[in-house]
Amino acid sequence: MTRSRLILRCVVLFYIAALIGVPLIFVFQQAFLHGFGAFFSALRDPAMDHSILLTALVAVVAVPLNVLFGVGASLWIVRHPSRFTRVLDTVIDVPLAISPIIVGLVLELVYAQGGWFGAALAKLGWQVMFSFPGIVMASIFVSLPLVSRQVIPLLREIGDHQEQTASTLGAGPVRIFFSITLRSITWAAAYGVSLTLARVIGEYGAVLIVSGNIALVTQTLTLNIGANFDNFNNYQGFVGAVLLALSSIVLLLILGVARHRERRRNEYLA
Amino acid sequence: MLAAPRKQTQAEGAKLPPATGRQFRDVRATSTLSRGAAKGLAITYLSLIVLIPLAALVTNAFNKGLGSFWRAVTQTESIDALRLTLLCAFVASAINAMAGLATAWVLVRDRFAGQAIINALIDLPFALPTVVAGVTFYTLYGPLSPFHVNITGTWIGVTVAIMFVTLPFTVRSVQPVLESLTFNAESAAATLGASPARIFRTITLPALMPALLIGTGLAFARAIGEYGSVVFISNNLPYRSEVASSYIYSLAVSDQTNSAASVAVALLIIALILLIFFNVTAQRLAKKRT
Repeated sequence: MTRSRLILRCVVLFYIAALIGVPLIFVFQQAFLHGFGAFFSALRDPAMDHSILLTALVAVVAVPLNVLFGVGASLWIVRHPSRFTRVLDTVIDVPLAISPIIVGLVLELVYAQGGWFGAALAKLGWQVMFSFPGIVMASIFVSLPLVSRQVIPLLREIGDHQEQTASTLGAGPVRIFFSITLRSITWAAAYGVSLTLARVIGEYGAVLIVSGNIALVTQTLTLNIGANFDNFNNYQGFVGAVLLALSSIVLLLILGVARHRERRRNEYLA
Repeated sequence: MLAAPRKQTQAEGAKLPPATGRQFRDVRATSTLSRGAAKGLAITYLSLIVLIPLAALVTNAFNKGLGSFWRAVTQTESIDALRLTLLCAFVASAINAMAGLATAWVLVRDRFAGQAIINALIDLPFALPTVVAGVTFYTLYGPLSPFHVNITGTWIGVTVAIMFVTLPFTVRSVQPVLESLTFNAESAAATLGASPARIFRTITLPALMPALLIGTGLAFARAIGEYGSVVFISNNLPYRSEVASSYIYSLAVSDQTNSAASVAVALLIIALILLIFFNVTAQRLAKKRT
C-alpha cells in the first residue's frame, strides 16, 4: 500500500513537473539568458512598451464592464427567475465553448467593412474592427461568463433570507445590495475578477483577428510576443512572455487567497 | 415553511404595482424602472457582443445554400484539420483524465511537503496566456530544443500543447468530490477483505466518475477550439499538422468568409454534441448511483 502510494506520488510529481514546472522555469531561463542588463534594455523596446500600454488599457475598459454585467446578470438569474432567465443562464456560458478564432471571426462578420453593421458604422465615422473597440469587444466576449459562473452558485446557496430581513427593517435596495449581497459575494466575485483579468490580458486568437496586429498601433502584448517569434526575435519574445508569466503568477496568488477565504466562509457556515 | 410565502410575493411582485398595501417594502418590487433599464442594458450588451455576431456566423455559413456549406466543410483540408483536431483532443483528454484523476487523488489523500505548491501550480495553465505556453513549447520541443527533441509539425506536438492547457479541468472537477467523499464504504470494503485495487475500482472510481466525465468534457471542448498554445508548435502544415481553428484563421484572413463560417459552425456543432454527450452521461451515472 505505502509502496504503491509512493509510486503514484512520484508519477504525479513527474507529470506536473514535466508539463508545468519545466516550461515555467524555461520561460524565466530564456528571458534572463543574457543577464539582467540585457533583460532591462529589452524592456525598453518601443513596440513592446506600446503593446503593454494597450493591453493595460483594454483591461481597464473590458474588466469593469464584465464585472458589472456578471454581477448584474447573476442577481437577475438567481433573484428574479423566469423562463427567460433560464435561457440567459445557458446563453451566458456559451462563450466558454467557442474557439477564440471563431470569436474573432464572428465579430468581424458584424463589425468589419463588409459586415452587418460595417457600412452604418463607417458612415458614422466609427471604426470598430482593427482598432481599440474591436479588441475590447473580443476581450469581453471571451471572458463574459467568468464572473457569473462564480457568483451564481454562491447566490443560490446563501438564499435571500438576509436580504428579506434587511428589507423588513426598512433598508432600500441600494443599501441591501451594498451592505448584504455584495459582502457575501465579495470573494467569489474577486475570484471571477481575477479569472477575467487573466483571460483579458492573455487573449491571443480572438484579438489576433479583430486587431489587425499592427505594431505600435493595435498590437497587444500577447500579439507582440507572437510577432517577435514570427520574426525570429525569440529573445524579445521571451522578455514579453516572462512579464505575462509574472502577471499570471500574481493572479494565481490572488486566486489562491480568494479560494481560501471562500472555503473559510463555507466552514463557518457549516 | 418559509418557501411558500416567498413564492407568493414573487408572483405578486410581477403583477402588482410596487409596494402597494404592503407592510414592508419588498426587495423585488421596488424601483422597477431602474431594474428594467438594467435588464435592458444587460440584454443589449449580450446581444451586441455575443448573440448578433453568432447569428451572423450561422447566416454566413448557410447564405450560399446547404450545398456550399457542405462543400466547405468536406474539403480535404477541412476534413484533415477537423480529424487532427479531434484526434489530438481525444488523446490529450484521455491522458489527462487518467493523470487528472491520479493528481486529484495525490492532492487529497496523500500528504507530503510542498503539496500546496503543486496544488497552486495546477491552476497555472488557466492563468498563463496561451501564447506564452505556445512559444515555450515551441522552443522546448522545436528545432532549437535543449533536449534535442523536435516534435513541431506533428500531431504529438499539438497533443502536448493541448495536454498542458487542459490539465486543470479534470483535476479541479474531481478534487472537490474526492474531498467530500467519506471513508465509510471504503473501510467497510477493506474489513471485508477487498484489495486496494478492488476498492478503488468498485467504490471510489464510480463515485468520482460523473465529475471526471464533466471535467473531461470541458477539457475536450477547450481542446477542440485551442489556438494560441498550438499554433507555434504545429507549424500549420495543411493536411498534416493544421488544427481546425488554425484552418479557420487562414480562411478568414484570405477573405473566404463563407468557408470560414461554415467550418466554424461545423466545429461548434461538434463541440456542442460532445459537451451534451459528456453531461448527459455524467448525469445518468450520478442518477444510477442514488
